[in-house]
Parts: sequence; C-alpha cells; structure tokens
Amino acid sequence: MLLSKTRAFFEPDVTSFADIAFLLIFFFILTTTFILPAGSKLDIPAASADPEKAEDKQLTVTLAGEDIHYGPEGEKVTLEELRRSLFGRNFRAKPPDKRIVIVNAKPDVPYELYFDVVMAIHHADGVLALLEEEEKAKK
Amino acid sequence: MSIRRKKRLKAIVPTASFADIAFLLNIFFMVTSNFIKEGHIELKQPGSPEIEALKESQISVALDKEGELWLQGRPCPVGVLEEGVKVLIAELGDKTVMLKIDREVRQEKYGPVFLALSRAGAELALVGQKEKE
Repeated sequence: MLLSKTRAFFEPDVTSFADIAFLLIFFFILTTTFILPAGSKLDIPAASADPEKAEDKQLTVTLAGEDIHYGPEGEKVTLEELRRSLFGRNFRAKPPDKRIVIVNAKPDVPYELYFDVVMAIHHADGVLALLEEEEKAKK
Repeated sequence: MSIRRKKRLKAIVPTASFADIAFLLNIFFMVTSNFIKEGHIELKQPGSPEIEALKESQISVALDKEGELWLQGRPCPVGVLEEGVKVLIAELGDKTVMLKIDREVRQEKYGPVFLALSRAGAELALVGQKEKE
C-alpha cells in the first residue's frame, strides 16, 4: 500500500502586490497630463511662391517691430482693425487661391505679434502664405 | 452578579481584490498616458482668444526663448529640420506638427522654422494659450 506524502502547500506571498501596484498608480497620476494643447491647425501652401503672383496681386500684411501694415498703401493698423478688415473680405465665399494672405514679417518681429496676426487670418478663413528669403530681399 | 458580555464580531475587510483593482488602474494609466517629451524646454506660449483645443500630434517642434530648436524633444539645427520632419512624417504617417514657439522669439529665428516645415509638407498646429476676449 502506497502512502501519499503530505505535500507542503505552496502559496506565494502576494500581500505586497497591492502596495507595489498603488505606488505605480501614484507615479502615473503624478506624471500624467490631462491638459489638451490649444492652438490652431494651419495648412501653409508650399513656401516657394511665384514672385510674379506674390505681393502685387495678393493681400499682404507686413509686420515691422510691433506695427502691423495692411492695405494697398500699407497703412498702419491695429490688430482689431486688421481682424475687422479680414472678416470684411468674406474669404469663406471665395475659392482657396483667392483666400491667400501673405505675411511679410521683418526680422525684429516677436512671435507673439506674428501669432496674433496668423490667428486673425485663420479665424477669418484666410490661407496663410510665407515669403521666401530671396523674395523678401527683392521687396 | 455576573455581567454577560456581548460577543463582538470581528470586522474583516477583504483585501484580496485590491491588487487586481490596482493593476487594472495601472493598465488604464499606461494605455492613456502620454509622456511629456519637452518638459525640459522653457518657453512661454503666446495667447489669443481665437484658438481652440487641439488633438495632440506625434511630431513636435519647439523653439525656446534662447532661440534653440528642438525636434521631438531633442536639439536639432534648423538646417536639418526639413529632412528630419520629412522622415518622421513618412514613419508615423501623420502630417501634423505641433509647433511651440516662445512668444518673445524674433522672426529671424522662427521664420526659417516655418519655411522648413512648409517645405517638408507639414500641417502646422500652432500651440498657444486661450485668452479671454
């Protein structure tokens, strides 16, 4: 007759598992960001614009220092005036090639002003176009 | 006189499922977490009332207040930005580039960045802070 050996019941100690898991949770809670970025999505047309077509026929906003120049004579305007003027153009009703607004910023223009102008163009449904350095030099 | 003591029941909190709950929470955080790649880059974002919430993109370009350029949180000279972004667009299949620029940086620094990204065929998501009108 065979006698069955009494086997020692092996049970892993899992009491610290919960502690480890909760520590990991604290780590993720502390490192997680729930803040979604805010901004605006822009589709900028290819940078190499035809100089023939460029500034002469299309709307141009020129930025120099803290000043905004806009219109056929390049008059100095405030950001609010620019916003109103761009809205008045009713870009939404126009085809994409007629919505282009060129922003010509001088080297000393802070990004804050550029960002405001770009947002105003985007909000008015305009399409931002950039000027190449060579084209800038010609102007 | 003998006082009869009431038998008190021992309160036992079953903690066996704690680890399971904790691990489920862990998995949730692991799946939904998006690690900040650019925590070390110091920049003040510009504000505008005309901005809305953006969907986070996988490609990120930052220009800090010192005028240093960062691609995916790593330093990147402006000369190789176009090529770097083209490679990332092809790899990730996403054309959107999150562009974060310090509000005090001058055009001589951010102008070439815009041109390089435009040449790379990227769709720009300009990041800023929502301001009240």
